[in-house]
Amino acid sequence: MIITEQKDIEEIYEMIKPYSKILVAGCDGCCQPPRSINEAKVLAQMLELKARSEGKELKWKAITVLRQCDDRIVATTVRPFIEEFDVIVSLSCGLGVVMMNKVFPNILTFPAQNSKFGGAENNAENQFVEYCETCGECLLGVTGGVCPMAGCAKNLSNGPCGGTVGGKCEVGGYTHDCAWVKIWERLKKFNRLDLFTQYRPPRNYRLWSSPRFKEINKTYTNVEESNKEEKQ
Amino acid sequence: MEKVGAVLVIGGGIAGMQASMDLADSGYKVYLAESTMSIGGVMSQLDKTFPTNDCAICILAPKLVATGRHENITLLINTNVEKIEGEAGNFSVEFKQKTLLIDQEKCTGCGVCAQECPVEAIDFFNEGLSNRSAISVKFPQAVPLVFSINQDICIGCGFCKAVCKANAVDYTLEDKITKLNVGAIIIAPGFDEYDPSPTEHYGYGKYLNVVTSIQFERILSASGPHSGLILRPSDGIIPKKIAFIQCVGSRDKTHGAEYCSSVCCMYTAKEAVIAKEHMDIVHPTIFSMDIRACGKDFDKYIERAQQEYGVRYIRSRISTIKEIPESKDLRLYYESEDGKVVEEIFNLVVLAVGAQPHHSTKELAEKLNIELNEYNFCQTKPFSPIETTKEGIYVCGMFSEPKDIPETVVEASAAAGATNILLSDVRNTLITEKELPKEIDISGEPPRIGVFICHCGINIGGVVDVPEVVEYASKLPDVIHAERNLYTCSADTQTNIKEKIKEHNLNRVIVASCTPRTHEPLFQATIREAGLNKYLFDLANIRDQCSWVHMHEPEKATDKAKDLVRMAIAKARKLVPLQEQEVEVIHKGMVIGGGVAGMTAALNLANQGFEVFLVEKDDKLGGFSRNIYQTIEGYDVQDFLKNLIQKINEHKLINVFLSAKINSIEGYVCNFTTNISYGKDKQSKEFRHGIIILATGAHEYKPKEGEYLFIQDKRVILQSELEKILFTDEEKIKQLNSLTMIQCVGSRNEEHPYCSRMCCSEAIKNALKAKEINPNLNIVVLYRDIRTYGFKERYYNLAREKGIVFIRFKEDKIPEIRKENGSLALYINRPDIGEIEIKTDLIALSAGIIADGEANEGLAKMLKVPINDDKFFLEAHVKLRPSDFATDGIFLCGTARGTATISESVAQALSASSRATTILSKEILITEGVISRVDPALCIGCNRCAEVCNYGAVGVKYEEGKMVSEVNPLLCKGCGDCAAECPAEAITMSHFGRVQIEPMIAEAARTEFENGRPRLIAFLCNWCSYAGADLAGVSRYQYPPNVRTIRVMCSGGIPKSFILQAFLEGADGVFIGGCHIGDCHYIAGNHDTLRRTNEIESKLESLGINPERFMRKWVSASEGKIFSETITEFTNKIKKLGPIELDYKKKNQKKE
Repeated sequence: MIITEQKDIEEIYEMIKPYSKILVAGCDGCCQPPRSINEAKVLAQMLELKARSEGKELKWKAITVLRQCDDRIVATTVRPFIEEFDVIVSLSCGLGVVMMNKVFPNILTFPAQNSKFGGAENNAENQFVEYCETCGECLLGVTGGVCPMAGCAKNLSNGPCGGTVGGKCEVGGYTHDCAWVKIWERLKKFNRLDLFTQYRPPRNYRLWSSPRFKEINKTYTNVEESNKEEKQ
Repeated sequence: MEKVGAVLVIGGGIAGMQASMDLADSGYKVYLAESTMSIGGVMSQLDKTFPTNDCAICILAPKLVATGRHENITLLINTNVEKIEGEAGNFSVEFKQKTLLIDQEKCTGCGVCAQECPVEAIDFFNEGLSNRSAISVKFPQAVPLVFSINQDICIGCGFCKAVCKANAVDYTLEDKITKLNVGAIIIAPGFDEYDPSPTEHYGYGKYLNVVTSIQFERILSASGPHSGLILRPSDGIIPKKIAFIQCVGSRDKTHGAEYCSSVCCMYTAKEAVIAKEHMDIVHPTIFSMDIRACGKDFDKYIERAQQEYGVRYIRSRISTIKEIPESKDLRLYYESEDGKVVEEIFNLVVLAVGAQPHHSTKELAEKLNIELNEYNFCQTKPFSPIETTKEGIYVCGMFSEPKDIPETVVEASAAAGATNILLSDVRNTLITEKELPKEIDISGEPPRIGVFICHCGINIGGVVDVPEVVEYASKLPDVIHAERNLYTCSADTQTNIKEKIKEHNLNRVIVASCTPRTHEPLFQATIREAGLNKYLFDLANIRDQCSWVHMHEPEKATDKAKDLVRMAIAKARKLVPLQEQEVEVIHKGMVIGGGVAGMTAALNLANQGFEVFLVEKDDKLGGFSRNIYQTIEGYDVQDFLKNLIQKINEHKLINVFLSAKINSIEGYVCNFTTNISYGKDKQSKEFRHGIIILATGAHEYKPKEGEYLFIQDKRVILQSELEKILFTDEEKIKQLNSLTMIQCVGSRNEEHPYCSRMCCSEAIKNALKAKEINPNLNIVVLYRDIRTYGFKERYYNLAREKGIVFIRFKEDKIPEIRKENGSLALYINRPDIGEIEIKTDLIALSAGIIADGEANEGLAKMLKVPINDDKFFLEAHVKLRPSDFATDGIFLCGTARGTATISESVAQALSASSRATTILSKEILITEGVISRVDPALCIGCNRCAEVCNYGAVGVKYEEGKMVSEVNPLLCKGCGDCAAECPAEAITMSHFGRVQIEPMIAEAARTEFENGRPRLIAFLCNWCSYAGADLAGVSRYQYPPNVRTIRVMCSGGIPKSFILQAFLEGADGVFIGGCHIGDCHYIAGNHDTLRRTNEIESKLESLGINPERFMRKWVSASEGKIFSETITEFTNKIKKLGPIELDYKKKNQKKE
């Protein structure tokens, strides 16, 4: 899930200030907390109130999109509305904002949110946590399922460093757990400390530098076709 | 003799109401005879309840209304039993109803008579602290809401007859004698407070500033004589120092009674806390003996009272109080911890009076031919705590022993449970079902609205220009018919409404009259009888929230009435018929746990003819009771247990599974499927059942090795081990010279912060037994507080008479144990005496009762029910629903809920089975109509709904492969929280949804005012704030007529967009009222209100709107005055701020 945070209403308003007709689009995809039609409507209502206090009238419509990062879905869902509006405000992650701008090159789409990180829920702590940093070279197999890239402030491949005290990391003032202590505990539990003592070579940070691309395998559209071809 | 399927319940307090509801829901006709003018009992007088500080009337009022409205319950008010004859199964009863001088059928409860009455007589409800007229109701929320004339003070002026438009006053009415036949009788007459006047040393009745605790309760109440201000009687000054004196009339053979009244320690703590909450300058001091906080979470409450609220506890029994004549202050003398006599002056003294048998009990006992015990309470036995000495007559509540509200409710249901066995073969024979016409299909029809506007005598018509409102309403779009009635609620108007529906083909009906909280069901029934779905009705509250609160502004009140009617019409256009679903009930039950509680519950259900699956994890039945040999009263537990197990094993309808493990429980109320493996060979079994009773029990705390030398020295044993020796190996006791018991081992400490409730009596029981075996034995009991509540106090007295020594220690100075030359010695340090050394041969540790945390957590997860911090299961409501879980169809009893004695476990088991019977006895269960509904096409599967739902009624069904949310109509309570939370607007709350409320907001914001605004929109939750607003009306607390209220079921059902819409539509101020945090009718819906409103509130400033234009306040049902003050204050604030357009302009000017 992409963890997001709504921008200050002032910041959003500054972006749409020159326009008087806006389309507010929620996203039903993986965006967390969910930003669907309800949030889109509330944002639009707030922008209208804000506009009024600036002495302006604002026309709006709130819609929601199944997934704003999918160009085909965006095209089919949003196209019927765009002609009536000056700009689009997107309540998705950055992917959605980029995709909207790409699919509709003649109309500007503004972000209403800051995209924080890819994360998952930890309900016990009432938090979203970045458990994976999408580094491109997964180490979880040798670290007992605890990611040192996302969990260690120094991205160490061979930890822990000297900055751990009582299982806590010096970065952030000993408030966060040291990932490497956690890794040691996990591996010890399964009697696999052999993995811990192994030497792990330095990370290939090139895999990790933007922009990143990956080819989509478009050779076959479905399994049946591929099977047929193989037989031939 | 033929059995009769009807039951008589004597006493309409909380016990009588609970028993009546249970029985009426289980298919019996119930006659509820109450000697006063309203049901509700003592609880209706309370301000708050411990340990949750719940507002008493908020939680009681819905129960009052439900009881009064139940079709199987007939209320007989002002009625006493005259004569009873016959046997169990068929009693014939004769009642006498003292005349009210008012026709109960005709009286609408409008209250004009009381206002006109020139005689100011004393108000007994407020404990003599304020006045009321000779013609009156007992309290504003009374059920039934019928007035009566007090003939002792009526001067016969005839005013009331002259002003009564309903022609209900009739001075010629005479007392009425009624005869009835019933199958069983439940007696719940309640108790009287001890009258401290004879206790001259406290000066009650002589010194004005000495009041009883129940008087103080009224002083504290927001609906009391000073509207919640704490003012002392002598001069109306706020008493800064208040002394509470415990045990007045309790634990005192010379003044009052020997027994402990069980509730005073807690209610005193509560009163002290609430006093501090009401006014911070108050400093409460409590003079107590032992602090008996032995209920669930009670110790934590006492702790909080001391730590958070600064309540001072002094352990001393006050002997005299002297008044200082000049100041009317009171001088107290007490002995301090270190043994010195201290003098202190207080401004007010509150006497915590104990409970005494109700004044009617002696006479009643004679009429019923039942025995009383030596304290004149009802005689019962520990293994059958709700049976009287006469078969077919059951007892519950305070009449059998002083106890608090949850125990009373438990017993009430238990009495109903016992009745169930006696009368199960004549169930459903005397109840009547109304035949209703087929519902008219209105789909596709445009709205055709009929509006009926009530004059309510002069209550509405005297202020609001009703003809003008009718004229106005008739011109609104979609209104086909509008008319006015003198009393829309009278029987002839119901016929008229039905005729008008037929005549004009109406498909929506609006009544503008009083409050929907009391009258909506009546009108819904009327339109249903005319063939309309009952949800095609709405009520505009133009009395309680209009004419009564704007009495001096008739024009503005008329304008407001028009707006309220217009808003109701806007809603009515969008109303849709709602269908209540019918679900078939599987008439079988599963009981988890084969201890005393589980077996009793299983046997009760089986004896009614329901098949039961009894699942026990151990390889034999009996539970913890296998370790107990005798009750403190001297009854043989093992014998009882053997008997019970035999009955279980022999019963054809009970399937016992031993060494069983529950693998899975699926389904919901009416239809559960459980899979277990059991026996030595782990056989697997799956069965279906309609309900679940949880009776998993608890076990004895095992002290850690070395705690008091436990395990390290063989002479340190557990209390249960001592009991075994006492009853099986007397010789061993005879050889002893000295025996010492240490209390609170593993209780009331950091690890287990609660009291285990039974250890004190266990210790005293065993000490007495040991003394009996070996009279020369020196016995010392080391304790923190001796908690022999109720009649158990007798045995504490007896123990001391027999020479058993009790020595107190404090939590921070626990006894030190030393081994010297092979012999054991204990040391206690006391500031008043110094160090005490006790040499002893044997030490018994009174280990507490702890829950099996892991097992309970597992079950809790499987059943989706909550457990508390101490790992005991958490009931639906600690006061009023002690045997239910919030999730329907699952019940609990015994030590799974919290520590309890065998007798209490039996009562809880019967209670749980009675609650279960309300479901099992039905062929089909009808679900609520007002529930949430999910549109699967819109659902995005985020599961936020499940996070806010407190009933497990809604959520994404991952396991069934669907990725959309689903509402279980059987579990949904209709608060609308999920609909407000749903990001995709896939969930709709029916009847109070966006579709209905948004047009209401638009209409409310269209209001025009002649001389300026403000326009205010208030969203009020049905159970607390709306009720509080109604109370403001009943009490005639005036407030400005600018506010337009919109009723929602729960403030948690208000989405953020409602607030923004209100501002966008032009409201100058928005108010949200909900229950106090912790009091929510839907457990915790208002936490979500808090979160949503905080979010909006924090953003208003940046939107250019002054955040002061929004207000959120928790207003309870008893805070009528606070509601009116709040609205007045809010209106004035908004008036100063001016119309909302000013905010917009201000921002513009700033920019320029």
